[in-house]
Amino acid sequence: MQLHIDGLRPRRARLFASVAALAAGAVLLAGCAASPSTSSSSGPLKIGISLSLTGDFSDSGKAAQRGYDLWASVVNKSGGVLGRQVKLSIVDDASSPDQVVTNYTNLITQSKVDLVFGPFSSLLTVPASRVASRYHYSFIEPAGGGPSVFDQKLTNLFFVQPAPTTKGGDVFADYILSLPANKRPKTAGYAKLDDPFSAPIAASIQKRFEAAGIKTVYDQTYPAETADMTPIMSGMSAANPDVVVGGSQEADAFAQIQAVIQLKFNPKWLFESNGANSPGDFPAAVGANTEGVFSSADWYADSTVAGSAKFISDYIAKYGGDAQKIDPTSAEAFSAGLLVEQVAKKTGKVDNATIIKTLHSGSWPTLVGNLSWDQYGAPKGSYQLVQWIDGKLTTVFPAATARHTPVAPKPHWAG
Amino acid sequence: MHSLIQAVILGVLTGGVYALMASGQTLIFGIMKVVNLAQGVLVVLGAYLTYTLFTQWGVDPFLSILITTPLLFLVGVGVQWALLRPLHGDDVAQLSLLVTFAIALGVEGLLSFAYGATLTNVQPSYANFSWTILGYQVSLVRFVAFVLSLVVLGLLYLILQRTKFGRSVRATVQNPMSAQLLGVNANRVSALGFGLGAATAAAAGSVFGMLNSFNPGSHYDLISRLLTIVVLGGLGSIGGSVVAALVMGVASSVVSALASPIWSDFTFFVVLLLVLLIRPRGLFGARTRGAL
Repeated sequence: MQLHIDGLRPRRARLFASVAALAAGAVLLAGCAASPSTSSSSGPLKIGISLSLTGDFSDSGKAAQRGYDLWASVVNKSGGVLGRQVKLSIVDDASSPDQVVTNYTNLITQSKVDLVFGPFSSLLTVPASRVASRYHYSFIEPAGGGPSVFDQKLTNLFFVQPAPTTKGGDVFADYILSLPANKRPKTAGYAKLDDPFSAPIAASIQKRFEAAGIKTVYDQTYPAETADMTPIMSGMSAANPDVVVGGSQEADAFAQIQAVIQLKFNPKWLFESNGANSPGDFPAAVGANTEGVFSSADWYADSTVAGSAKFISDYIAKYGGDAQKIDPTSAEAFSAGLLVEQVAKKTGKVDNATIIKTLHSGSWPTLVGNLSWDQYGAPKGSYQLVQWIDGKLTTVFPAATARHTPVAPKPHWAG
Repeated sequence: MHSLIQAVILGVLTGGVYALMASGQTLIFGIMKVVNLAQGVLVVLGAYLTYTLFTQWGVDPFLSILITTPLLFLVGVGVQWALLRPLHGDDVAQLSLLVTFAIALGVEGLLSFAYGATLTNVQPSYANFSWTILGYQVSLVRFVAFVLSLVVLGLLYLILQRTKFGRSVRATVQNPMSAQLLGVNANRVSALGFGLGAATAAAAGSVFGMLNSFNPGSHYDLISRLLTIVVLGGLGSIGGSVVAALVMGVASSVVSALASPIWSDFTFFVVLLLVLLIRPRGLFGARTRGAL
């Protein structure tokens, strides 16, 4: 077919047409790159995951791997997803935000996986979720709940925990403010780790306490490299608040507890946002001094959520060990798989567009509770308030799921 | 006032442990002019050995020092003999920086492989015990650690002042060429000196493991503190490192308790800067070699 373009001589018109065709081809190619052919609806269901199997996050990365692998083996035993066997492609990102981008790009464009699941930590989830978004993949992720994840306003992302990480302490505020006014603490002290996952948890509790008239008598923020918490807790002890709130990660939470024991300071209520919710590491770090300490959690060995007991028995059958040593990250990763299973069951499809559209409505039961999300993937639920009672982490609030009433005032330290 | 005194007590006790770590660092520098970037990882290695001895065989963490110090002494001698001794030429100091950093990374990698990245600590039954003295809390572990640091530093002093080996070390520090001409075997002194430095790291590691949660990556923070302590004290001066460690311990503790922990390290660096402006050699650094 001859192409005629007004005002151009035939030879120049041919050149113009060639360039236009090349440009159109390039655009088409780019279009293909932006949405690589995804699921063939038969054959194995390939799911790509980048995990920190080495580097700083390797322990948690391996815990996530155990959760993903366990889900795959359980679902495959029961016939797979819509009759398709699940095949996981797990690659190591060495805890590096650069490597995680390369890994997800390769998984999507080279390995042509059908779906992707998230890596470990917000640090890696942010760049990884951008890659997934660029290729219109759903991004179900169990371990990136920091503000930076939701600030991206990605609509393909779903965080598989009950609430954004910074809301981890709200359930403790709910419990304290549910007490009759004459039984509430009058004064509070706050020790906050200066990172985006810790200080905001304590700050959120502080805001609600102050609004309810609980006076702040000590408030200190410390940098991540603070190894010795004793000077800070010495100041806390001198202020003698009724309730101590630690916006903490693991090591500093342990150090805070050790410091208050040595200082012989026993507040009536003590909440640690992290660390104290670790069923294995916390008693290992503070010995018999766990009693009465509050924290919040989504999953732990004595969780009453449906499916938890089966998860534990399958886990132990596959990996050995005992229930108390199971890292919650494994249950969260397992839950990511459960979501895909449920979407497939409900819609009869397992493509990315269907997953994104379907998960944006309704409520989805998982090992970490019934999940639902806002438009940017922030879960709309809340964590459970847990307390160490008789040497075990026990749900104490909200009342609907509690297995024990909260113990207050806190028993004395064992020493 | 109560908070201030409590903070000073804490600072002095903590400073004692850092003094032990830093004395090895400064000893190695004094003898060989090697800035040992592996000192922090040797402390962490000592902590892990103590952890294993305690959790596997129930060896008390303080008693485990009797096992870990000879062990790390041998490691130190081996490292010097195998990796530092072959370095020659004018740029030995720079090369040794790279070699000791490589050792640090290597040991960190091995520890990560063996123990994982999870934080751990050594938790004997008395770990959180404290005495109340005149209304102030004195932690048993910190107190014993402080006394132990004094004992080990005292032993180090006696070795350097009263033994033939000590004389060889001091001679090497003052003038290596003359020392060799007088029959001092510089390689032997260097190897034993590096071994001693590693042994102090082992002793400090046992205590460090009880006072702090640690993982294989903990050595980065440690080495930055140790380097600032030895620079403040004066490179090569053991007495200086002890004083500097106590200054750091007290400054950090007091500022943390009375102002904010965010300012505690900053305050120490301000002190460091001021001291170096007035005395560029550090508190006790000698104008010439021979500070030991």
